[in-house]
Amino acid sequence: MSPVLAQASGGIRWSWIGDNLDDIWEATVEHLWLTGIAMVVGFAIAMVLSVLAIRYRRLYGPITATTGVIFTIPSFALFFVLAPFTGLTVLTAEIGLVLYTLLVLVRNTVAGLDGVPEDVKEAARGMGYTRNRLFLEIELPLALPVIIAGLRIATVTTVGLVTITALITFGGLGRFILDGLQQNLFVPKLVVGAVGPTVLALVLDGALLLVQRALTPWSRRAAA
Amino acid sequence: MTDPMIRLDGATKTFPGTSTPAVDALSLEVPTGEIVVFVGPSGCGKTTTLKMINRIIEPTGGTITVDGVDVRDREPHLLRRDIGYVIQQIGLFPHRTIAQNVATVPRLLGWDEDRTRARVDELLVTMGLDEELGARYPAELSGGQRQRVGVARALAADPPVLLMDEPFGAVDPIVRGRLQVELLDLQARLRKTIVFVTHDIDEAIHLGDRIAILNVGGHLEQYAPPEDILREPATPFVEEFLGPERGLKRLALRTVADLGELGLGNCVQADASVEEAAQVAAEHQERWIGILDGDRLRGWAWVSDLDGARRAGDVETSLFRVALSAEDTLRAALDGLVRSRTGVAVVLGPDQRYDGMITLARLNQAMVS
Ligand SMILES: Nc1ncnc2c1ncn2[C@@H]1O[C@H](COP(=O)(O)OP(=O)(O)OP(=O)(O)O)[C@@H](O)[C@H]1O
Ligand SMILES: [Mg+2]
Repeated sequence: MSPVLAQASGGIRWSWIGDNLDDIWEATVEHLWLTGIAMVVGFAIAMVLSVLAIRYRRLYGPITATTGVIFTIPSFALFFVLAPFTGLTVLTAEIGLVLYTLLVLVRNTVAGLDGVPEDVKEAARGMGYTRNRLFLEIELPLALPVIIAGLRIATVTTVGLVTITALITFGGLGRFILDGLQQNLFVPKLVVGAVGPTVLALVLDGALLLVQRALTPWSRRAAA
Repeated sequence: MTDPMIRLDGATKTFPGTSTPAVDALSLEVPTGEIVVFVGPSGCGKTTTLKMINRIIEPTGGTITVDGVDVRDREPHLLRRDIGYVIQQIGLFPHRTIAQNVATVPRLLGWDEDRTRARVDELLVTMGLDEELGARYPAELSGGQRQRVGVARALAADPPVLLMDEPFGAVDPIVRGRLQVELLDLQARLRKTIVFVTHDIDEAIHLGDRIAILNVGGHLEQYAPPEDILREPATPFVEEFLGPERGLKRLALRTVADLGELGLGNCVQADASVEEAAQVAAEHQERWIGILDGDRLRGWAWVSDLDGARRAGDVETSLFRVALSAEDTLRAALDGLVRSRTGVAVVLGPDQRYDGMITLARLNQAMVS
């Protein structure tokens, strides 16, 4: 252990956490909201893009290329590019967050839909499914395991990014890190700001896994 | 003759970006209630033709009617709900249980719950599937069971027409043989109009009321009942496609019952005199004689062994090792005949009753007539 940390830990006021549970809870809920909005909007946009990419194959290249490029922009840079237009607002943060979800969500949704076996689709068409019913009742359910896998990755990523958008919005659990840094490395705040999102990410990931199991009982039994 | 259920009139398909048609002006009629088998080498256009009937593939020329209606006059998805469709890969819905899979078309047609459930139960029984399989997912079934579910699903809304594209192509030969027999049993009861695609000529001969032999480009080489095709192949292509052993394949189309009354054959009752036995054997130009106890066949003995005995039944007999029944094919009869030491195949009826014996001469006579 380094001398600095050893010294610091001597005087850590862990009781701060117990005294500020209300604050922490509020920040957690805020964190969830920021994550949730980004996921819902991102998922909706990704679905539209994926369906477009599947129906019009020409679009697949441009769509994945664009979302791919966005994904490689460092998050700080992206937010600073957006800030002059939309200010240091929740909107700025959400635009960035949504953009970051797109690559994973589109790629997985397209892969999921592409993975639906051709013979299953042909049998469905041959029995008289219309295109829309085929999509909703056959293709979408069969793509679900892969789509939800994408949602899990995107959710975990977003929970982490929301910690960073505290720089812009000063909302969510990330603000404790900012506070802690300003108050001369006030350790309890740093810990809450760092551990909180991690726990949150794990919980959401687990929840989505349960959702997937509930929605696709056939895929687990098939693997067994 | 009643109107044909399906009529192709100059049906043509030229795929985009290709110059020669995959199917070029194919005309044929599929009679109501018959099984017509499309057979031919890979790429000759069997699947393309089949899929033009339910408009999975849109024809680029000619007319196709089903039950007197031009298929182009119907919405494709509505047309397809009236036509059962089975493909080689089956294409069961992995996320739906077997019962739900079978209920597919009834659901699309908007049947109520009770009627659908009753129909599903009925079909599982019809296809020889255990009731408990209904709650399983397709991945939890064997290949043969899945194939049966595929057929059950196609039959669900009781369509008059069934299109089957190599439906038994993916299962092993033993299961395939069983499924073929089941299909014929089913057809005997349901009298559907079935178009069946295969590239296995033996399957075609076994199943088809008529066989359409196609050449590249969907060119119809011969369209006739299997018996006629085997007896008189219309073209060298057909002859070659039928392969060797055409005679044996014809034998496989007929049964022992088709031979009619067989007569007693080279046999005498056990209490017949030795002289009588020797005389019967001589008439049949055989050196052995069959010994009967009433309507049971005891076995056979060498005529030379009868010397010194009083009655034909006094000597020790050998058993006929191969026994046929009325529903065995003549091909099986020939096989039995070749394998037996006496050069005849014995036919037994119910309760082992002796019904007569088949000789090579008798088989020959049946095939030339
Ligand atoms: N979608 C398509 N686009 C272009 N050509 C096609 C298409 N589908 C089939 N063909 C061509 O049309 C011809 C007939 O194909 P089809 O699938 O009907 O053959 P098949 O008789 O069913 O053969 P197999 O026994 O191998 O199944 C082939 O030459 C094939 O390459
Ligand atoms: Mg084919």
